[in-house]
Amino acid sequence: MRVIKVSQKVPIKPCGLVGTGFLDDYRDIDVIRDFARAASLAAAFFGLAVLSMAARAQQFSADIVRTPTGVQAEAAAGKIYVSGNKVRIETPDVSDGYFVVDARVPHSYFVRPDQHVFMDSRQSSQLTQILVPVDLDNPCRQWQAMSIIAVANSPNGAWTCQRVGHSTVGGLDTIEYRASGPKAGVMRSWIDPRLKWPVRLIMADGTAVDLKNIQEQPQPASLFEIPPGYRKFDPKALLERIKQSDVWVDPQQ
Amino acid sequence: MHFDTKLKRNKRWLLTTALTIAAAVSFISVGPNHGPNSAIAAEAQSNGHGNGNGHGNNNDPADQVKTESPIKHVIILIGENRGLDHTFGIYKPKGRGETISNLLSKGIVNEDGTSGPNFKLSQQFAVSPQPAYYIGAPDNAKTPYSAGSLMPQPNTAGTPSAQSDTGAPFKSVAEASVETDISSDDTVLLTTGASGLPNNVTDTRIPNAGKIANGLFPLQGPNIDDDDYTGDTTHRYFTAFQQQDCSMANATKDNPTGCLNDLFPFVMDTYSASNKSEGNSMGFYNAEKGQASVLKKLADRFTLSDNFHQSVLGGTGANHFLLGTGDAGFWSDGKGHATVPPSSIANPTPKTGTVNQYTVDGNFTACGDTSQPGIQPIVSYLKALPYKVNVNCQPGHYYMVNNVNPGYLPNGALSGGTNLPPSPVRTIGDALMEKHITWAYYGGAYNDAVALSNAAVAANPTNPDLTAAALADPAHALGVAYCQICNPFQYATSIMADPKTRAEHVKDTSDLLTAIKNNTLPSVSFGKPDGLLDGHPQSSKVDLYEAYVQNILAALDANPRLKAETAVFVTWDEAGGYYDSGFIQPIDFFGDGPRIPLLIVSPYSTGGKINHTYADHASVLKFVERNWKLEPLTSRSRDNLPNPKARKDNAYIPANMPAIADLFDAFDFHGRPNNLTYAN
Repeated sequence: MRVIKVSQKVPIKPCGLVGTGFLDDYRDIDVIRDFARAASLAAAFFGLAVLSMAARAQQFSADIVRTPTGVQAEAAAGKIYVSGNKVRIETPDVSDGYFVVDARVPHSYFVRPDQHVFMDSRQSSQLTQILVPVDLDNPCRQWQAMSIIAVANSPNGAWTCQRVGHSTVGGLDTIEYRASGPKAGVMRSWIDPRLKWPVRLIMADGTAVDLKNIQEQPQPASLFEIPPGYRKFDPKALLERIKQSDVWVDPQQ
Repeated sequence: MHFDTKLKRNKRWLLTTALTIAAAVSFISVGPNHGPNSAIAAEAQSNGHGNGNGHGNNNDPADQVKTESPIKHVIILIGENRGLDHTFGIYKPKGRGETISNLLSKGIVNEDGTSGPNFKLSQQFAVSPQPAYYIGAPDNAKTPYSAGSLMPQPNTAGTPSAQSDTGAPFKSVAEASVETDISSDDTVLLTTGASGLPNNVTDTRIPNAGKIANGLFPLQGPNIDDDDYTGDTTHRYFTAFQQQDCSMANATKDNPTGCLNDLFPFVMDTYSASNKSEGNSMGFYNAEKGQASVLKKLADRFTLSDNFHQSVLGGTGANHFLLGTGDAGFWSDGKGHATVPPSSIANPTPKTGTVNQYTVDGNFTACGDTSQPGIQPIVSYLKALPYKVNVNCQPGHYYMVNNVNPGYLPNGALSGGTNLPPSPVRTIGDALMEKHITWAYYGGAYNDAVALSNAAVAANPTNPDLTAAALADPAHALGVAYCQICNPFQYATSIMADPKTRAEHVKDTSDLLTAIKNNTLPSVSFGKPDGLLDGHPQSSKVDLYEAYVQNILAALDANPRLKAETAVFVTWDEAGGYYDSGFIQPIDFFGDGPRIPLLIVSPYSTGGKINHTYADHASVLKFVERNWKLEPLTSRSRDNLPNPKARKDNAYIPANMPAIADLFDAFDFHGRPNNLTYAN
């Protein structure tokens, strides 16, 4: 069993499958650079073909299903849309908006359409920290990166991943990891090697989270964008206003 | 930049018009089943309201419970920090032959808000340094403020200077719509009212600010209205008692308890080195010149009490606690045994070398021990009153007289720290549950607060921090606007420790609206707006509480069957430190305090009447207990007091003090009910 520990300061590299991240990675490879002039046209065509296939492979939607500990019946826990590193999560836990995540930057926002505002999602949903594209050899790198932005870059513990082996989940061949994070605790994760996505999680409290009804198809770019004109909400000002009221009790007094 | 008053008025006109149209549609939609002579009203009237057969809705369990009156549901709505003279100081009753005791009727101010012939009655004084805490200043130590020695001036304190993307007043209606407990037509009110001034400076929006010599001033002018945020004024137990300036040496036939109410700005200016309230306590609105217009319209058409009082001198927490228990909370070991709090024991003795700066502005006091700081002057005064007063302080008990968070978080987890340990004090909720009578407390932003509590406990089980949780979970950040100290049941072990009991009885404002719509309204409901809507100065506005009230009344308008058997009490937790000219009846160590408005809204309390019978928060308990046939909560709770017997020469002073009303005389249960629309 291989144990992989991730420093909390590890910078996240571009995933390398879509967009500029893919091209940046290939620019780092000497052999490509040496033959680039002679084979540039062929390589470009080849690269675009791979990119196109990969991008298609990583565009999907799925239902999020939750099964609490000790409960047989699963419950709908939302919907996920994926386009490469970009993720949109809609969950009834926070029903007046949706989350958009870009695992490459990385950033994670909660968007409230009715109010035309967006905000750092931080810890508003644990799903935004876990349901991201992962590195098959070390999924903790992505989870670590997401956990750091969830705590607003304040000190945070390290994630560790242990590769358990292959197993089948819902008819899919998956790679199972046992992972431990500073706030998530110990969880188990099954990753689809083709999608490079966790398709099943068992959280520290025993709750199972599954992606079901996975539909691989192109997703509209608008799903992952914050509409123009939206303003960013920061709870600090709200807290300051509330501190002027009797709702607020100064803990020092 | 000051807000454009004309624009505000236009917005208010639009709001009022929209509500009127909505109400008219509602009225029309119920057709022949609605109106003063409707079948519902007649049915309610003839039902006898005690036969257990129900009358309006056979699916409504509250209809199956025998009641003393036709009222099958009561909703108690509680705003924040507005006194009677502050809100209705200039108001003329609409009911035929009705009178009111207020600034206008006493000649303290004129109808246009200028100084009246008896303006001197509101004169305020400074006091020279005294060696010990006092509640009645020696005459020879008092000096009236004057043109040569101005009283402390109104101050912006923490009033918002400008609109914000992230807090009220918001920059846009869209941003403000994070608040869902008011009609979308009213959301615009959450975008207006910034001062345009820095914090903690003289509030130059107020006419003549900086040159006010002495006494009251209107919060109305070209640059200020009831749609503007204004500076708060502190209101804590020992400051509030001192501001009232009570001494039997001042007693008269019409003021038998000798309180002069003449040290309001002085105490604010001197009790603390850091407090910036200054003269804000002397501001008032003018209901006859368009201010507090929704409240005024309710008073015009229903019943207003001009002798309803905050039950505890001081602030939010203690007043809500008494509203739910008829008693005061005390520090304990969490198992019901009184113990000494680890900190925050009050000592109002002035610090050496200061005019009046308290040694410890604490939250607890052992008032059963007259050797404790600040206790002797109060107990001596109570003992000197012309009627017998039970101080009601048990030995060894440190009572909560100021704001302390409950020992439970909104999700039922223990909050720990210096919060009041889980309380054994019996609540009205316990009494109702024992009789299988439905009830609930509906708090604004409660659901978000539960989410924050869950996150806070997960992050730090021994010291959960909701503020940190709000920063970590912006999607539920509105949960910080849920008022924990406003929920008397959140202190109680009997309610909070059992998840099922808690879930059944502690809910969100959205659940109140749903219950009204779905005919699942409990017999007894408490409604508390969140911190953006509660009307508290500095953090909210009068018109925002009006919008919250109106939203609930509109829901009742849309369910005429329910409305026909529902009474709504619209009131406040306390006067917020604002000056009031009314008589105060001391009842025990804890109160009473100044008058606050109480609007009694129901088909049985119409006509623009003014009720003068002496009452306080415990009167709400007495109403519930009489209507649903319950006993007083405990042997020491304030609901044991008798109803007042009217003094022939003065309707405001009970002949049998101490006494408080059960509010039944604010209704006419013998006449025909009048199902007026609430939103007209």
